[in-house]
Amino acid sequence: MTETSFVIETAGLTKRFGDRVAVDSVDLRVPRGSAFGYLGPNGAGKTTLIRMLLGLTPATAGTMRLLGRPVPKQRAAALARIGAIVEEPRFHPFLTGRENLAIIAAVRGSDAQRRIDGALRRVGLAERVDERVKTYSLGMRQRLGVARALLADPELLLLDEPTNGLDPAGIHEFRDMIGGFVSEGRTVLLSSHLLDEVEKVCEAVAIVDRGRVVVQGSLAELKTGGARTILLGTADNVRAQATLARHPVVGSVAPNGDGIRITIPPDCSLGLEQAAAELNRSLIESGIAVHRLEPEDVSLEQRFLEITTRLGGSE
Amino acid sequence: MTAAATVIERAASTRGRVPAMVSAEILKLRRRRGLFWSALVLTLGPILVGYSVLAVRHAIDAERFGPAGGIENLRASVDLFLVIGSVVAIMVGITAGGGDLGAGVFRELVVTGRSRLALFAVRIPGGVLFLVPFVAVTFAGVAAASVLLAGSEPTPDAALLAKLAGSVGLSLLTAYLLAVGVGSLLSTRVATGIVLGWQLAVAPILLQTGKLDAVLPGAALERLEPGSTTGSMSAPAAVLVLAAWSLVPLALGAWRTATRDV
Repeated sequence: MTETSFVIETAGLTKRFGDRVAVDSVDLRVPRGSAFGYLGPNGAGKTTLIRMLLGLTPATAGTMRLLGRPVPKQRAAALARIGAIVEEPRFHPFLTGRENLAIIAAVRGSDAQRRIDGALRRVGLAERVDERVKTYSLGMRQRLGVARALLADPELLLLDEPTNGLDPAGIHEFRDMIGGFVSEGRTVLLSSHLLDEVEKVCEAVAIVDRGRVVVQGSLAELKTGGARTILLGTADNVRAQATLARHPVVGSVAPNGDGIRITIPPDCSLGLEQAAAELNRSLIESGIAVHRLEPEDVSLEQRFLEITTRLGGSE
Repeated sequence: MTAAATVIERAASTRGRVPAMVSAEILKLRRRRGLFWSALVLTLGPILVGYSVLAVRHAIDAERFGPAGGIENLRASVDLFLVIGSVVAIMVGITAGGGDLGAGVFRELVVTGRSRLALFAVRIPGGVLFLVPFVAVTFAGVAAASVLLAGSEPTPDAALLAKLAGSVGLSLLTAYLLAVGVGSLLSTRVATGIVLGWQLAVAPILLQTGKLDAVLPGAALERLEPGSTTGSMSAPAAVLVLAAWSLVPLALGAWRTATRDV
């Protein structure tokens, strides 16, 4: 097995359907042993990228490596240790859950045959495994899809919108399952348009829009990568607003409920905590009592909208 | 019929006797209840009904109606079986060729890393092994009836039975391979329409005209039938025609399986 620090590496990966570019020169690096979010709106090219990685559709241009192996050249060896759910997992409805897994295990080899029972227990389907899949709910099919992916004893799991159609309890369960996989040293690529989902599960993300990876990195880096904001509450918000509007570290000041929202511009050399301290000092010197001063917790959703809105506006 | 179903189902259950991928193909066919029962009813049903009618007629009026068995009725039964059996072979072939794709499961097979050509190739032994018990049980029934119900009629010897069995096998195998190829190439409905339409309507009409005999599988099969003296082609040419009708669709199906987006 080729050990590399990245389980997925793509360079210039492109897929065109006629004139339409579905995946546009994507350079993606997914670190080993993490939950990595591949985040983008519907139609951004997420599924197409996964389909290229798995050999379901050929790339128009670019290179790919999975688990350190070049694909499609060493596709079979790479996919032997990769499990995947692409869109809605599909099964033969007239076969039982166990029979559906047995079919995949037959294709994967004898080791996979031995993993069937364990995989079914792990996803909580042991009780219904001998019923036909046509009687399964969507949630059960998703879990059976995960069990099928586990037959590979995967180093890498590619999960494309795995929580689609699940109820909140199912989503919660799925999230725990992904956490469990990562704690076992597996890598999970979670492709989703659900920002909240990715934010709760992943340590690193790539945001994709219109086929292009716009930004990638750790979640923490990403969330602090844009304009930084501080929420402020004072005894006299009107005077505080006037005072801070002239302050050199402040980009903009605006009322925010019963307080003030200060934006620190990205080019400000001070860190967020230093800037907060500076603002606090300035207000105290002006005789304005401060009862609240906190960096705003920027959600991934806000960053996502910032990024995709900026892109949309520039075109 | 239920007893026959049990026998056939057991025969088609191949766990431990064939490679796992082939066994999986058989399982997919065997578990389609509609296909299984259609195959059973279509193969065994007409033969059972046919011999029952012949036997009852003979029992009621032996002067007017001869025994149900014998060589003449054997040949007629085999001809009927060839027509209906080819329909079954086509149904099974198209299901084997397009079943995974139609259910969306082919994608799940591809992501295992197994080569697409291997996934295609395994459909051939899988479907053949699924069909064998139906064909074997039906042919055994025909052979037994032709001997046991022969009365004063001449009975077929082992050599004739073996030749007829070979002829049936070759004919159904050709239909099956054609169907697997087309089933892998086109959607199930379109493939079913085209192959059944060809087998039941177009090919017999063309055969009647006698103008395209040199390239028709029906003419080639007629040429290879036991005791055949007719035909516009030599035996090797007949084999080539059948090979072409099997291998060309298979090659097209394999190409489509290997190259299609899933």
